[in-house]
Amino acid sequence: MKPASFDYVAPRTVAEAVEALGDTRRKAQVLAGGQSLILEMHLQRIRPQLVVDINRIPELDRMSIEGDELRVGALIRHAAFEPADAVPGPLGTLLSRAVVNIAHPPIRSRGTMAGSFAWAHPASEWCAIGVALDATVEVNGPDGARAIPAGDYFLGPYNTARRPQELITAVRLPLLGENSGVGFIEHRRTHFCFAQVAVAAALTMNDGVISGARIGLVNSADRPVRARAAERSLLGTELGTLPKVLRLPDDHPFARAGRVAAQDDAAPVAEPYADAEYKRQAIAVLVGRTLREAASDQRARMAAREEGHR
Amino acid sequence: MAQWVRREDERLLTGKGRYVADIDVPGCLDAAFVRSEVAHGLLQAVDCTAARDVPGVVGAWSAADLPDLPRVPYTLLAGLSTEDAVAGREWPALVKDRVRYPGEALAVVLGEDRYRAEDGAAEVTSTIDPLPAVVTPSAALDDCVRLFDGLSNIALRGESGEPIDPSVWQDAAAVVEARYRQQLLMPSPMECRTILAVPEGDRLTVWSGHQMPHRLRRELAALLGWPTDRIRVVVPDTGGAFGSKSAAFPEFVVVAHLAVKLGRPVRWIEDRLESMLVATRGRGQDQTVRLAADAEGRLLAYELTIDADIGAYPHLGAGLPMQTAWMATGAYTTPRVHATLRSVLTNTMVTYPYRGAGRPEAAIAIERTMDLLARRLGLDPIELRRRNFIPLDAFPYETPTGRRYDSGNYAAALDLALETLGYEKWRAEQARRREDPDALPLGIGVSCYVERSGGEPGGLHEFGSLEVHEDGTVTARCGAAPSGQGHETVFPALVAKALGIPEAQVRLVEGDTDEQPEGLGSFASRSAQVAGAMLQHAATLLIDEARTRAAELWDLPVDEVQWADGTVHAAHDGSAATSLGDLVKTTGPLRVEDRYAAGMAFPFGAHAAVTEVDPDLGTVNVLRLVAVDDCGVVLNPTMVHGQAFGSAVQGIGQALYEGMTFHDDGVPHLASGFLDYLLPTFTEIPPIDIRDTRTPSPTTPLGAKGAGESGCIGTPAAIVNAVADALRIADPDLLQMPLTPDSVWRAARASRHQEGVR
Repeated sequence: MKPASFDYVAPRTVAEAVEALGDTRRKAQVLAGGQSLILEMHLQRIRPQLVVDINRIPELDRMSIEGDELRVGALIRHAAFEPADAVPGPLGTLLSRAVVNIAHPPIRSRGTMAGSFAWAHPASEWCAIGVALDATVEVNGPDGARAIPAGDYFLGPYNTARRPQELITAVRLPLLGENSGVGFIEHRRTHFCFAQVAVAAALTMNDGVISGARIGLVNSADRPVRARAAERSLLGTELGTLPKVLRLPDDHPFARAGRVAAQDDAAPVAEPYADAEYKRQAIAVLVGRTLREAASDQRARMAAREEGHR
Repeated sequence: MAQWVRREDERLLTGKGRYVADIDVPGCLDAAFVRSEVAHGLLQAVDCTAARDVPGVVGAWSAADLPDLPRVPYTLLAGLSTEDAVAGREWPALVKDRVRYPGEALAVVLGEDRYRAEDGAAEVTSTIDPLPAVVTPSAALDDCVRLFDGLSNIALRGESGEPIDPSVWQDAAAVVEARYRQQLLMPSPMECRTILAVPEGDRLTVWSGHQMPHRLRRELAALLGWPTDRIRVVVPDTGGAFGSKSAAFPEFVVVAHLAVKLGRPVRWIEDRLESMLVATRGRGQDQTVRLAADAEGRLLAYELTIDADIGAYPHLGAGLPMQTAWMATGAYTTPRVHATLRSVLTNTMVTYPYRGAGRPEAAIAIERTMDLLARRLGLDPIELRRRNFIPLDAFPYETPTGRRYDSGNYAAALDLALETLGYEKWRAEQARRREDPDALPLGIGVSCYVERSGGEPGGLHEFGSLEVHEDGTVTARCGAAPSGQGHETVFPALVAKALGIPEAQVRLVEGDTDEQPEGLGSFASRSAQVAGAMLQHAATLLIDEARTRAAELWDLPVDEVQWADGTVHAAHDGSAATSLGDLVKTTGPLRVEDRYAAGMAFPFGAHAAVTEVDPDLGTVNVLRLVAVDDCGVVLNPTMVHGQAFGSAVQGIGQALYEGMTFHDDGVPHLASGFLDYLLPTFTEIPPIDIRDTRTPSPTTPLGAKGAGESGCIGTPAAIVNAVADALRIADPDLLQMPLTPDSVWRAARASRHQEGVR
């Protein structure tokens, strides 16, 4: 690693960290897992004058259920979500299905969910789940603490509503009810690289009818996208037998929702080997497949519950 | 049981390897290069003043500050290129007046360590007036943008075979045509390039991860104007090369020049981003092909036209496409084959040998075209190949493109590949899926290749020696220089077997020009075939010498002295025996050395792949890969297996993943390193079955042909053919490597449209 020279502090409390970040004479950067920061500093694309290492702040290293929300402290590593039962209910399943797509095990043991929200890469799995589920980002700064809804938080690539002097202390995600099912599918060229497109979905069913739908699109715009038009197209739909095949019939509601997401919700940014046309195609296909996975998950949960009642 | 399969493994796998960057020389300076951010432009000014004021910076120089800086030595190695190709197209070690590729070095900064050198480099300023950049042969061909004023971008034209009479095409029952892009690839060894130059008295010791230490010594001596004996080149442990480490690169010239000028040790340890920007590229050909057959599928004529991307300066890559032209014939008895090439300068780093080096381009072109022709004729691609293989009794076989194939049994390799794959079973599965509208399409592809190993005439020899010590141990020396191939294991075993002594008694010394006065190196899959033969030859010389000495000692005719298991003994009386060590004690130092030339050899093989394609996303899933390679007599099956596996993975890389795209200004998208240039990782490696057939080479005493480049040559076309088969793609131009998901999705969609029209 050959970064430009920088100062380094390791505060022991959130208050100390906020104070360090409040020093406006120096461009400061928070170090949690270092998943992206260390690489960017190595390449000198980020040249902080001060690195505020928050790894020694115990109060940030907590995950808890508070009411109907999961509160994930800023030091909770990706790897914490690998077991499906680390978090109760369908949310735990969703997080565990998504997390294995994040980098690889050594990085998952260091990188943090809050760090992903701070970095706000358009291909971040967590950020798309955040906007789909209406997560809340807790920040603390010189003017005190505030909570930012995910829908207002992401402003563009690497650009968020967090002010430079603010520290993310936690991310809150709503738990999903037992009548929900979840899916997460990622498409990328090799296991090593970022998603070309990925989709997170949660479907809530009542008597075989879709009563709630949440769809998050990864790398489908310059920021994480909640596919609201696609969600709307699903509400009130009665789901019959789920197609068993990978390729959904064109007139299936999930295939239709995929096309809506690709055309109306996504705003793909061209990349090498994935122009906007291809990304729209991949979004349409993946949304359909992820919705089917979510519906299938929901039915499996129902079946398991009935089994448990017998 | 040995814990380690190879002698070098314990050292290399437990972190005890010693690479150039591990060598600690007191007072050594680190070089950092200031690199052009534009691909093509006129250099107006470079200012190093501010860099010189940075603490820890010892000096900073542009080309203007170093008027005596020699240019980069080019090579006409093996007659591949010509003086005309390089005339007037000098490659300065630091840019003088014109930048011709992105990352070309504008200045060098020496610091007390790399941090300080980089801090200094950050302070160097430059002014470059950008020019339009051309990054493909087709863009550069028309000379609208010239890299050298007054000179064409076409540096070299060449051909093999005879032009084909138009009537052959007119009269043929079937003629197919296609265009293929052999994309630019990066060799990507684990260790990037390294050089450490240490002046000692009137000599210079140069440590470098390098494939040809004696060539580096010769080139450095020439550019310093020194006799070669004042330079010692040492190759310590080296983390891979794949063809990319045999030159005296611009950075090497600068480092050697400054080390001598300052009288201080200087090193350059290339980092990964530098390497991705300015290390040599491989492949890079735009090809058009035409293949004709009669109604029974007998090949009549094959024409291959190559526009090769050779990069910004004519170097070894200028002539490299000749290898493709010479190997154009492939495994078939095609009576007329004609290959023509134009080597075209572009604003990219130079093209250079990369594992396979000209032969993958030939094999991929003919093998994709064979499938195309089979489809046109309605023949099974396997059957088409069988009808045209050069038969067993035709060897040695003179190809229309000027090669003399030494030996081969192409049908046997294909048979074994199909049997190992379970060809009929997969064809049945394919048929089943074609009846099931919901099943993902599955395809089977084969590729039968012939490669050339050992080198070209003039480069088929190697030097070496065997020395016996008083304790009976033997030191073997040779001019090869491994970068991970396992010479330390294979060569001592070879010598021990020839002498009949335990392997542990033989030690190998390589990669040090002071230890071994002459040598060629490790390239062209030549080490076992050529250096191995040389060592075996040296062992016979050693035995002869030992018998001669014993005969004198015992006052016997030489033919009454026999050799067995490392000892000499009198034929009539086994009790008068003397071990090698005792012989040395009695008769003095015993050392034999020689130069030995082997013949060119032609390894071959058949690769078969099964792929499943998701047409909606364009993803290709390789379900199975079978690689049957024939490298003649195998010296060490484990090593050959490892070589076959590794090169098959690199073949998968060319087929599916590796490639670079460019910004409009000619700068490649590589800012995020391997996130921008994808190598296959462990997760992407399919089940690979490695098998071999063993057809000895009559041109080398060991019967061994080169191993190691097989997968790079054989695998890509097998995979592409399998994808074309899965999607039933009739237009070959739709599938160009790497078969990225977007390109496969487009090919699948276009193919459906074409079928709809029909």
